[in-house]
Amino acid sequence: MSDLTALQLIQRVVAGTGAAGRPHTVDHVSAGDPTQAVTGIAAMSQATLEGLQKAARAGANLVFTYDPAFWESGDNLNRLETDALFLEKRDFIRAHNMVVFNLQDHLRDSMPDKIAAGLARALGWQAEAGNANLFRRPATTLLALAQELGAKLDAKTLRVVGDPRLPVSAVATSLGNTAQMPGIALLNSPIDVLVCGYTHEWEVVEYCQDMVAVGLKKGLVLLGENASLNAGMKYAADWIGTVVTEVPVTFVALPEPYWNP
Amino acid sequence: MAELTRRGAVTAGLALAAAPAKAAAPLTVSQVLERMHGQTGAPWFERGVDRIIAGDPGTPVTGIATTMMCTFDALKAAVAARCNLVITHEPTFWSHPDTVTRLQDDPLYRTKLAYMKAHNLVSFHFHDHWHGKKPVDGIHQGMADRMGWSGYITEPYDRHINLPPTTLGALAREFQRKLDDRTLRVVGDPALPVKRIAVSWGNCSLIPGAPYLNSDCDALVIGEEQDWDLIAYAQDLVTAGRRKGLIILGHVLSEQWGMDYAATWLRGFVPEVPVKFIRIIEPYWNLRKPVFEIGTRLLQTRVLP
Repeated sequence: MSDLTALQLIQRVVAGTGAAGRPHTVDHVSAGDPTQAVTGIAAMSQATLEGLQKAARAGANLVFTYDPAFWESGDNLNRLETDALFLEKRDFIRAHNMVVFNLQDHLRDSMPDKIAAGLARALGWQAEAGNANLFRRPATTLLALAQELGAKLDAKTLRVVGDPRLPVSAVATSLGNTAQMPGIALLNSPIDVLVCGYTHEWEVVEYCQDMVAVGLKKGLVLLGENASLNAGMKYAADWIGTVVTEVPVTFVALPEPYWNP
Repeated sequence: MAELTRRGAVTAGLALAAAPAKAAAPLTVSQVLERMHGQTGAPWFERGVDRIIAGDPGTPVTGIATTMMCTFDALKAAVAARCNLVITHEPTFWSHPDTVTRLQDDPLYRTKLAYMKAHNLVSFHFHDHWHGKKPVDGIHQGMADRMGWSGYITEPYDRHINLPPTTLGALAREFQRKLDDRTLRVVGDPALPVKRIAVSWGNCSLIPGAPYLNSDCDALVIGEEQDWDLIAYAQDLVTAGRRKGLIILGHVLSEQWGMDYAATWLRGFVPEVPVKFIRIIEPYWNLRKPVFEIGTRLLQTRVLP
C-alpha cells in the first residue's frame, strides 16, 4: 500500500502520455473512489469481470482499461441500474477497493501511439517513420499475413475479407474499433491490407467487399477487439511502470472471448 | 433520369403497338413499392431508413431481386438475372442511413452509382418495414424457415424459440451447416445444455441484448455486435457463473434467408415480373478455412435443409 491515491496516479499517467486532452474524450473514472489509496496497477484491453478478478489476484486496485467496464462507450449506466450483472460487477469493484480508469484517447494521441507501438513490438515489425500505424513488409500474401497475425497475437478466430493469395507489402493498422469514414479512407490509401480490431459489417466490410468485386487488390483483417489491443496494453503497462515506480504494474492479458465451432 | 423515363415510355409504346390485347402499362418501381405498403400487416411509416437509395422510381421493372445487402456483387447478380429493382435489407452505400454526403468524391461510390445508372438499376432499402411485419418479423420468419424451425416460433411472437434439447456446441454446428457459416463465433461452454434460445438476427446492442440474455433462455443468437458491448457482457455473465451462451453468426448470414422469404412474399402480389432471391456469400474467411469465395449464389428455387 502506498500513500498515493488513484487520482494522483491517474493524473501522473495521463500527463505522462504527453497527449493534449480531447474536448470530448472517453477517458474517465468509470468506477470507484478516486481518493482510494493504490496497492498496485493493472492494465488491460477491457475491464471484464475476468480481467478484474485477475487484477485483484495480482494485488492491483487501480485498473487502466482501453474499453469500457460497463459494456458501452461512455459507460452509460442509466439503463443498467437494475441489471443484476451490473450490480454484481459494481459490488466486486467496491469489495476490492478498485478504481477503474478508461485510458484510450491519451494512449492513441501520445507520440508514438502506444497501442500501435505495442502491436509493432509484438509482431517484430518496424513502422514507417512518422506513422506508427503503417508498415512496409517483405513481400507476402494475405493468407501468410493472417497466419502471422493469428500466431503472434493469439487471434485464433480472426476474420479476413479478400483473396488469400493477394500480394501484400503495405499494411495499415487501425486497432480497436474502426469507424466508417476513417476505414474507407485507409482502404483507399496506398496500402494492400487494413488490419482492424472490429468494424461494422454493413460499413467498412461491405466497402472492402465492393473494392474486391470491382477488381481492386485489397484485403481487410478483423482481429477481434482483444487480440488487436492486448499487445498495445502490454506496451502501455510497461510504459506506466516507468512513470509509476511506487507500486507494481501488471499487464492482464485477455484471451479471445469466443471460439469457432 | 429523364432519358430513362423517356426510354421507358418508348418501350411501353412499342408494347402497345405489338400486343394491343395486352395493353398494360409497364410496372414501375413506384407501383411495386405502393403495393408493398398494404402487405406487411402494419401501417407504412416515413421514419427510419427505408427508401429508394439510388435510381428513378418511374423506372419500368424488368424483374425484382431481393438480397440481404446491396453489394456490388449483388448488383452484378441482379443484372445477370435481368432484374433491375433490387430490394435490399442492408445498405447500398456502406452505412445504415446510406449517407452519401461525404462520399461524393469517393471513387467506389462513383463507380457503383455509374454501374447502377448504366444498368437502369434501382435499389430500395427494405429494413424497418420488413422487421415490422405482422404478426412475425419477416426476417425471423425466413430464418426460422431456413433452420427448419417454423413450427417453433412462439405465439405471440417474442423472439424466443423452443428447440429439441441440444448443446451450445451442437447448436453452433447446426447453424454452421444450415447457413454455410465458416466464421461464426461462440461465447460459452460448448457442453452447455440448450433447449430455449432468444434470437436477434442482425445487429444486437447491449440493450436489448442484455435483457434477452437474462430472459429464461439458455443462449442468445445474434448476427453482429461490437466486442466491448454485448459480447463482453455475455463473457462477464459466463465468468459470473451464469449458464448462458452467445452465438455470433455474422450480420449477413444471420438475416439473409429473411430476404428469401421477402421474395416469396413479393411473388404473392407482384405477378407481372420474376422475383429472385440473390444469396450473398459469407464475406469472410478464417484461418481454418482460408478460401476465396466472392460473388453470390443466385437461387432460382428455395433450397431447404
